[in-house]
This record gives sequence, C-alpha cells and structure tokens, in this order.
Amino acid sequence: MSNYRNNRGDANAELNTLFQAYRAACPETEPSANFMPEIWRRIEDRQRSMFFLGRWARAFVTAAAVLSLGMAAYLYIPKGHNTIISVESYVEAIAAGHAVDSAEFIDPSLDEL
Amino acid sequence: MLVDFELIKRAQAGDSAAFNEVVLAYRKRTLGTIARLISRPEDVEDVAQEVFLRLYFSLDQLRTAEVFEPWLYRLTVNAAYDYLRKHRRRMESRMSDLSEQQVMLADAVAGGRVDHEVRQQRQVRETVDALLSAVSEADRILLTLKEVEGLSLKELEKIYRVNENALKVRLFRARQRVLKALGEAGDESRGKGTAKAEI
Repeated sequence: MSNYRNNRGDANAELNTLFQAYRAACPETEPSANFMPEIWRRIEDRQRSMFFLGRWARAFVTAAAVLSLGMAAYLYIPKGHNTIISVESYVEAIAAGHAVDSAEFIDPSLDEL
Repeated sequence: MLVDFELIKRAQAGDSAAFNEVVLAYRKRTLGTIARLISRPEDVEDVAQEVFLRLYFSLDQLRTAEVFEPWLYRLTVNAAYDYLRKHRRRMESRMSDLSEQQVMLADAVAGGRVDHEVRQQRQVRETVDALLSAVSEADRILLTLKEVEGLSLKELEKIYRVNENALKVRLFRARQRVLKALGEAGDESRGKGTAKAEI
C-alpha cells in the first residue's frame, strides 16, 4: 500500500516537473507584422456582413408585416355574396334551382298516359 | 492589469484607438496562452485574432473594467476550445503537417546541429503534448491554465464561473487521467526497453 502511495507520489511529482519544464520549453510567440491589420480587416468584414444581414432582416420583417396586413384585410373585409339578405323561403329557393321541373313545362299529354 | 481601467472603458465606448492599445498590450500574453493551449504554432495567430474579434464585439457586455482579464481569458479559452474541437489533434506528427520552424528544427536535429538543451526542450514539449492529447479538450485546457499558465483557483473560478470545490474536483479528475496516460506511456517505454534487451 505504501509502495502504491509512493508510486502515486512519484508520478505526481514527475508530472509537476514536466509541467514546469513545459512552460520553460514553450517558445515566446511573437506576433507577425500583419497581426493588427488582419484583426481590423476581420472586424470590418464582420461589421459589413452584420450590416447586410441587418438590412436583409429589416426587409424581411417589412415584407412579412405587409403580407400579414394584406391577409388580415382579406379575411376581415366582408365578402360581396354574404351581404345579400335572402328573403326567399326554402321551397322558393328549391323551385328556382329546378326551374325545368316546374308545372308549366310539364307536357299535359303525358298525364293522360 | 496590463492597461488601466480608463482605457478599457474608452474601448467599451467604441474608441478604436483605445481598443488598438488594449490589443497591443495583451496580444503577446494571449498568443503565449493559445500556443500552450493548442500546440500548433501555425494556427496560434489565427486563434488569437479570433479572440480579439470576439472581444471587440462583446466588450459592451463587460459589466466592469475590473473583470477584464478573466473575461479575456474566458474568450481565449472558448476560442481555443472551439479550435481544438474543430481540429482534433492527431497523435502522430507528419512532416507535411509541421510548421516551417518545426521542419527546420527537425532537420537540424537530424543533422546534429542543435545543442542538447534545445533537444531536451523539444522532447519535453512532445511528451507533454502527447500526454495532454490523451485527455479531453476541456481537461487539456483546464490543466494547462492551472499547471502551465500558473493561474490560481480564484482566477479559474472567475474564468469558469464555477465554485472552488467543483474546480478542485475537475482538476483532480483531469490530473488523474493525465497520470494514467503517463503511467501507460511509462509501461510502454519499459516494455520496449525489455524487448530491446531480449533481442
């Protein structure tokens, strides 16, 4: 058990030493001459794309609002055939719809058969 | 703090010159941190630029200038994490994949022109990189910030926005995984040694 602990302790110490050595072994990274101009180029690119996205989004919202208003108007404005108030009775309406069956067009000679 | 709070407030207010000064003050430190986090020299500058780009567009969300440094570390960690997720590190290094500097170094080592110290440093970097590639990106970043960057638990608390105990648990587990990888690497090298001795 104590051997196991010693091994773990050794491994921990070895890892600490490795990390310390790693920090010392990592070379200093110097920024290139293009570092700052490239940052500003990327910022401007992002701003430009955000600007176009914003314009597109505003156009989309406007179009959607116009379409919604149009649809609302279409749904709520009363239709022409709904305004005719029917005064006919049910029987009169059926008779009007089946004008061929009315009495004056039935051949009287057929009755005799 | 490498800059005064006033400069950060001016940058927050949209002053481009102030932002430029902030970048100039922090770029070297940020490049160093990213170099240790991602271990791919050819992409360090690109990731650092991404960090400052995110900084530019998120400065208005910074509540007080006093927390600027943990905020920048947080952005650095997130950018490094995104990079590591996108480019899962390969265990083996191919010559076509090495930076110009690394190729020159490899050539010099082959030609015996590099002194003992440089060779040792390279070996240390390769060993730690190999160990850290055996664990997850999150473990790698956390351990690098704590053990290599030397950040305190208090600083890590501000970066990760978790309490000290949760951080201690995460650090302990990450360390255990690295120790396991170290043990396996040791066993492997001992195995090779025995095999060589038998031959």
